[in-house]
Amino acid sequence: MIVLEWLFLTIAPCDAAEPWQLGSQDAATPMMQGITDLHHDIFFFLILILVFVSRILVRALWHFHYPKNPIPQRIVHGTTIEILRTIFPSIIPMFIAIPSFALLYSMDEVVVDPAITIKAIGHQWYRTYEYSDYNSSDEQSLTFDSYTIPEDDLEFGQSRLLEVDNRVVVPAKTHLRIIVTPADVPHSWAVPSSGVKCDAVPGRLNQISISVQREGVYYGQCSEICGTNHAFTRAPGNIGRLLSPLWLSRTTREASYYSERLEL
Amino acid sequence: MAEIEVELKTAPADFRFPTTNQTRHCFTRYIEFHRCLAAKGEESGACAKFAKYYRSICPGDWVERWNEQRATGTFPGPL
Amino acid sequence: MIESQRHSYHLVDPSPWPISGSLGALATTVGGVMYMHPFQGGATLLSLGLIFILYTMFVWWRDVLRESTLEGHHTKVVQLGLRYGFILFIVSEVMFLFAFFWASSHSSLAPAVEIGGIWPPKGIWVLDPWEIPFLNTPILLSSGAAVTWAHHAILAGKEKRAVYALVATVSLALVFTGFQGMEYYQAPFTISDSIYGSTFFLATGFHGFHVIIGTLFLIICGIRQYLGHLTKEHHVGFEAAAWYWHFVDVVRLFLFVSIYWWGGI
Repeated sequence: MIVLEWLFLTIAPCDAAEPWQLGSQDAATPMMQGITDLHHDIFFFLILILVFVSRILVRALWHFHYPKNPIPQRIVHGTTIEILRTIFPSIIPMFIAIPSFALLYSMDEVVVDPAITIKAIGHQWYRTYEYSDYNSSDEQSLTFDSYTIPEDDLEFGQSRLLEVDNRVVVPAKTHLRIIVTPADVPHSWAVPSSGVKCDAVPGRLNQISISVQREGVYYGQCSEICGTNHAFTRAPGNIGRLLSPLWLSRTTREASYYSERLEL
Repeated sequence: MAEIEVELKTAPADFRFPTTNQTRHCFTRYIEFHRCLAAKGEESGACAKFAKYYRSICPGDWVERWNEQRATGTFPGPL
Repeated sequence: MIESQRHSYHLVDPSPWPISGSLGALATTVGGVMYMHPFQGGATLLSLGLIFILYTMFVWWRDVLRESTLEGHHTKVVQLGLRYGFILFIVSEVMFLFAFFWASSHSSLAPAVEIGGIWPPKGIWVLDPWEIPFLNTPILLSSGAAVTWAHHAILAGKEKRAVYALVATVSLALVFTGFQGMEYYQAPFTISDSIYGSTFFLATGFHGFHVIIGTLFLIICGIRQYLGHLTKEHHVGFEAAAWYWHFVDVVRLFLFVSIYWWGGI
C-alpha cells in the first residue's frame, strides 16, 4: 500500500457512478474483481471476432463489388470451410461459458461461516437495516432507516440521489452475510463496487455474502422498479454504505482520517 | 481511540439451506428454538443459541408477527 | 348445396353467431368488472352476457348439426379437420388443467413458511380419500367404459343398444356429479381456507365443470343417436364426446392420486 501510494501519489477508487463513465466501478470485493476480469476476458474474444469479421466483410465488399468482379462466382459449397466455420464459432462460446458459469455459481456459494449478518429491508422508499447478532431478546434490535438525501439538502461534494442520511457501517476484510427482503413491494439491493445486485422479494429472504477488501464509501441504488419514487426525488431505496475500519476492525492506519472526514 | 474487544459472531452457514433463499433457514431456527424450549425448559440455557440464530437471520417484523401468532394460537408451524 | 362445387371442402355461409358471441363475451367481461366494483347494474349485464353466450353456443352448434346431418357438408376431409380441431382443443385443455396440478404441487411439495412449512396446512381437516373420492373414481371410470360400449354399438350398427349405453354413461356421470356436490357440501374447508382450499377447489372444481360439459355433450349425442343422426360411418360428434370423456377420466385419476390421496397425507 505504501509503495503504491508512493508510486501513484494518491489512489482514488471509483465507488460511485460518475459522468461519462464507461467501465465498471472499481472492485471492492473479490466477486466484483471476478466480474470485471470476466468482462475483460470476454472482451478479448469480442475484439478478436470483431476484427476478423470486419476484415472478411471489408474484403468481400472490396473484391466482389460489381465494377471489379462483374461475373459472380458459381461456387455452391466447400466442405472444409463449412466444417471450420461451424466448429470454430462453437468453441468460442465454450471459452466464454466456462468462466461465466464458474463465476455465476461461486456467487451463490457460501463457503465460510459469515462473521456478521445484516438485514437490508426495502421499503417504499427507503431502507431499513437491522443488526441483530447481539440481541438478547426479540424486542431488542439495532435498527435504523436510511433515506436518500433530497436534492435541496445536499451539501457540497455529495452525490445527487446517491447520498443517504444513515449509512451502513460494516467491517472490511470480513465475511458478511446480507439478508435482503422487502416489507412492501419488490425492491432490489445493489452495490456495483461489491458486485452485488440482489432482488428483494416479498415473503422471501435472499442471502448474499460479500467480503469487502478495502475501506471506503460505496454507493448503490434500488434496482427493481418499486413504485413512483424508484428512480427520482426522495429515497429511491438508496444505499450509502460505509465500509470502514471504524467499526471493530483495526486493520488500517487511516481509521482516524476517515472518521474525521466523514464526521462519524 | 479506546480499545474495544468485540467478538464477531452470527448464525453459521447451515447446509440444510445451501441456496440464496434463506426463508426456511430463518423459519426453521425459530421453530427449533421453540421446540427446544418445550423440550428442555427455559432454565437449561441450551436453547439460547437457536434464539441467537433466528434473531440474526429473521427480520424483526417476522419474529414479531410469529410471536403474536403464538400468543393467539394461530401460529401455523409445527411447534 | 351448390351443384358446381368441385372440391370437398365446406365453405361456410355467413353467420351472425361469431359477432353475437363476441358481444356476449364483451357484456360478460364488462358486467363482471362492474359487478366486482361499485357500479350499478353489473349483475344484470353479467347475467345478460352469460345468457347471450349460452344462447349463441346453442344456436351455433344447432347450425353445425344442420350443416352436417341435413345438408351433408361434412365430407371425409371436413371430418378430418374437425377431428384435428378437437384433438387440439383437448390438448389445450390438458395444458389448462396442468396449470392447476402445477400450482398444487408447487404449494405442497415445498410448503411456504406462511403456512408453517407443512402440508396440509394447520387447521385444514382434509377429506378422507378412501370415502367419497375413492367411490367416485370408479364411477367415472365405469362411465368411461360405458361410452366405449356405446361406441362399439354404433360401429356395429346396433342403434338401440347405443342409446342404452349412452343412457348408462350419462346416468353414471350424473351420479358422479351428485356425489361431488355432496362432498363439496360436507367439506370442512372452503376455497378461501389457505392455499390448500384454493388449489383443491380450483382443481377439483374445474374438473367437475369439465364433467358437466362432457355430460351435456354426451346427452346431445344420446338424443342424436335416438333420432338416428349418427351412423356407422359418420359420427364425429360422438367420437369427440368420447375423447373428451376419456380425457376427463384421466384427469380424475391424477386428481385422486395427487390431490385427494397424496395431498391429504
